[in-house]
Amino acid sequence: MKKKDNFLAAFFKKLAYKKKPKAKSFYIPEINEHSGNAGAGPQDPAGGGGAKKEGKGQGKRSQKASGAAAVSTDINENLEFISQSFNLPENADIIIRQFTIAGEVRAFMAYIDGLVNKQLVSISILRPVLSLKSGDFERGKKLIDFIINNVIEISGVKKSANPSDAIYGILAGKTALYVDGCDSYALCETQMFEKRAVETPRVENIVRGPQEGFTEDLKTNVALLRRIFRNKNLVSEYLNVGYRNNIQCAVVYVKDIINPAIVKEIKRRINSIDVDAVIGDGVLGQLIEDEAWSLVPTMLTTERPDRTAYCIAEGRAAIIMEGSPFAIIVPVTLFSLLHSPEDFFLKWPFAILLRFIRLLSLFLAALLPALYIAITTFHREMIPTDLLISIIKAKENVPFPTVLEILLMEVSFELIREAGVRMPGIVGQTLGIIGALILGQAAVQANVVSPVLIIIIAATGLGNFAIPNFDLAFAVRILRFIFIFASAVLGFYGITLVLVALTGAIASMKSFGVPFLSTAAPRVRKSFDSFIMWPIWKQEMRPDVLNPLDTRKQAPISRKWTKEDPDSGYRKGEDDA
Amino acid sequence: MRTTLKEGKFGVNEGVSLVITGIITKLFYSSASMLVNSMGTAAWYGTIVSCLTTLVFFLLTCLLLKRFPGKDLTEIFVETFGGVFGRLASLLYSAFIVYYVAMNLREFTDIIKTYIFPFTPVSVILVSFLIVASLLVSLGLEVIARVSLVYLYFILGGFVLLLALTSSDYNPDLIKPYLGYGLGNTLRVSFFRSSAYSEVLAVAFFAKSLQGYQNVKKAGITGLLISGGLASVVTLLYLMAFGYVEGREPLSGLFQLSRIIYLSRFIQRVEPVFIFVWVVSSVITVSIAFYVSLSIYCKVFNISNHRPLIFLFSYLMLAVSILPKNISEVLDIHMIVVRQYSFVLSYGLIIVALIVSLVFKRKGGKA
Repeated sequence: MKKKDNFLAAFFKKLAYKKKPKAKSFYIPEINEHSGNAGAGPQDPAGGGGAKKEGKGQGKRSQKASGAAAVSTDINENLEFISQSFNLPENADIIIRQFTIAGEVRAFMAYIDGLVNKQLVSISILRPVLSLKSGDFERGKKLIDFIINNVIEISGVKKSANPSDAIYGILAGKTALYVDGCDSYALCETQMFEKRAVETPRVENIVRGPQEGFTEDLKTNVALLRRIFRNKNLVSEYLNVGYRNNIQCAVVYVKDIINPAIVKEIKRRINSIDVDAVIGDGVLGQLIEDEAWSLVPTMLTTERPDRTAYCIAEGRAAIIMEGSPFAIIVPVTLFSLLHSPEDFFLKWPFAILLRFIRLLSLFLAALLPALYIAITTFHREMIPTDLLISIIKAKENVPFPTVLEILLMEVSFELIREAGVRMPGIVGQTLGIIGALILGQAAVQANVVSPVLIIIIAATGLGNFAIPNFDLAFAVRILRFIFIFASAVLGFYGITLVLVALTGAIASMKSFGVPFLSTAAPRVRKSFDSFIMWPIWKQEMRPDVLNPLDTRKQAPISRKWTKEDPDSGYRKGEDDA
Repeated sequence: MRTTLKEGKFGVNEGVSLVITGIITKLFYSSASMLVNSMGTAAWYGTIVSCLTTLVFFLLTCLLLKRFPGKDLTEIFVETFGGVFGRLASLLYSAFIVYYVAMNLREFTDIIKTYIFPFTPVSVILVSFLIVASLLVSLGLEVIARVSLVYLYFILGGFVLLLALTSSDYNPDLIKPYLGYGLGNTLRVSFFRSSAYSEVLAVAFFAKSLQGYQNVKKAGITGLLISGGLASVVTLLYLMAFGYVEGREPLSGLFQLSRIIYLSRFIQRVEPVFIFVWVVSSVITVSIAFYVSLSIYCKVFNISNHRPLIFLFSYLMLAVSILPKNISEVLDIHMIVVRQYSFVLSYGLIIVALIVSLVFKRKGGKA
């Protein structure tokens, strides 16, 4: 027990300086990359290549390349392999269940807790296997075949003689079964995990047309597509990306329509990716797109199965990733980015009107502030006198030059938008509206900006929101600032120079081999659904730029009934008799 | 001759747009007023005579291309004149085109400065223009062809809009007397003015990219006829708006025309709108010529990548463009050389090459 100080000692202790003992702060020690203790080694297929840097030309770091080459026939070695691979006992999620079949043969099951249907594992794997009696089977390498063919009551079971495949299977939610003396695993399809239900698309809302969007589950997404496009030639090829996160993506296409070179190129690009973790379609898209430095996207992203089905029916391919509710469509052209899924469900005159409105919105979003600066700074003669007087009146108390006013409002607008996105749900919407109203009103009253400018910025913002493609809208937001700068320096002349440079840059772009400005430049066979959308029954051919195997989409006369006489019909001028 | 420069391929549509843009851009400059100055009221059909004269020269060029299928003009010169003289002939073209670009640039800059940016330094206008042209050239011939095709509709639309909006000012009596300064003068001047259509030769230099002589012929003839027709209509309406006395004076006839637009009290003084068309067509024209010059140079010296040379060529063009002391020197000396006498070089060498190939029975290449 601590001895209590007398009063005097305690008093002096309070007066005297006493250095406080400092706690040590944490730092991350450097890892010697060559010592071999950094991350998982090559013996660990689940961990990938670890932090070790691989030499040039060593190729893609793949789990399949590492790890043991064949499955051992000794159960202890296999237990050791699985335990080491999954970092047992630290890793609490991996379950290894050992048991003995008919009291004679040792066996074990391995799966990841939370990824499998435990009831299914118990009822359809464990119980039948444990019910075996000693006379029912023969020991040896063939025992695993016997169990797969006669015992396990699950439809999807695969035999795997590769330990890496077993690891992959377990990671994907399968249950691996090993029986002593065998040289293979039985991988049973027991996946079941929590997933979001199919819901209404959040980004691509439409009035007419289907109201279901992709989810984060790859199989569900492919199934949604198959439900719309019921064709035996609809192929979905599964590829793994990311040598650490081993995520699956599906390349979906119609085999007898798409040009095989497109599929080959997509697979080549995906297979060549040497990245540790590919999380989501956004990352994958950046890793495989042609124009990595371009602002304008060269791939179409959609969360709608109906739009994806339409695209693959045209001869394009869809790339869908596990964990992402979006499909990447390739190849595309600039005009595809201005299409909306609703276009296909509307009568063609309505669709044309909407496309023109979208083109106008693109023009407003990119150029309106720049044009305002150019006109009010360099080309005032253009403004009619009455309008000029009202602009000058509104601006006479504003101390800033027009370009500064525009930049001030543009930055404020971007701030409100970003803040609105970050705030949850209804708070975000309210923040956007209130922020814009209050900020605009206050700015005008404080004579920081002129009222005309608020109209310009509002119209620009609306234009930006009307662009149907999210990535393109982002590109336009950045381009707007470039145009503002050009117009502030050189007026219309500057805007035009930037516009030509931008057109040149876009004209040089390609999306998986397809010139991005086709069908306008280069000119190809007339498309009936490029910018202008013609009636559905006129859209006889698939896009020429895709060079599909089957160029014809419809018969020359697709509405055959127009050429046939109805059973009860009459000609004009004829009597009803 | 071993050519290593990869220029890509494009179709007849792109070829036509290159020819049209290259030729009609000068209408935005001093060309219309110079035509009126030299041929009076006969300018509008005089330009058709120039166009037809060029057509004859171009058909002779096609005849030469036909004798050497699969080869472009640079290669044909080497085949006909031999290695040294063939290359020298090509270099002569390259040098002339540098001069052509520089003078066009200077004319454009001076007009921009006169009408739009009186207080902006010439260097700012010149350098910003050259940066964009250099960017297009660096992106390659395919891209220039595509950009010209995309903007061709806007350029033609701009012409139509301009001519339609000024229709209230047209007076048909102003094109009288119909024979201008006399038929002899009209024919003589229009023959020399055929140089103003020599941009059509660009497609002959890109015969390989156009994938054959037939496509070159098609693109060239179509482009020439459309350009000639448009130039004639524009000059006719310009004359009808200003007459030949007033029409000789403006630095840029069409810009002056755009200034008189008065549709209502609200729609007037809309000439800045036409800056868009004007600048776009000028950038494309300069880029085409810039690329032709660079391409010839690369082919002559077997250079596989044209990009490292872009800065040097643009610097050279910039230097040549500031040689004339003022716009009067540009118009009275250099533009006369470019638009009236350059045909001697442009078509002279081609005709000599054709004669040599016919006399010495030289032909070759693969279709």
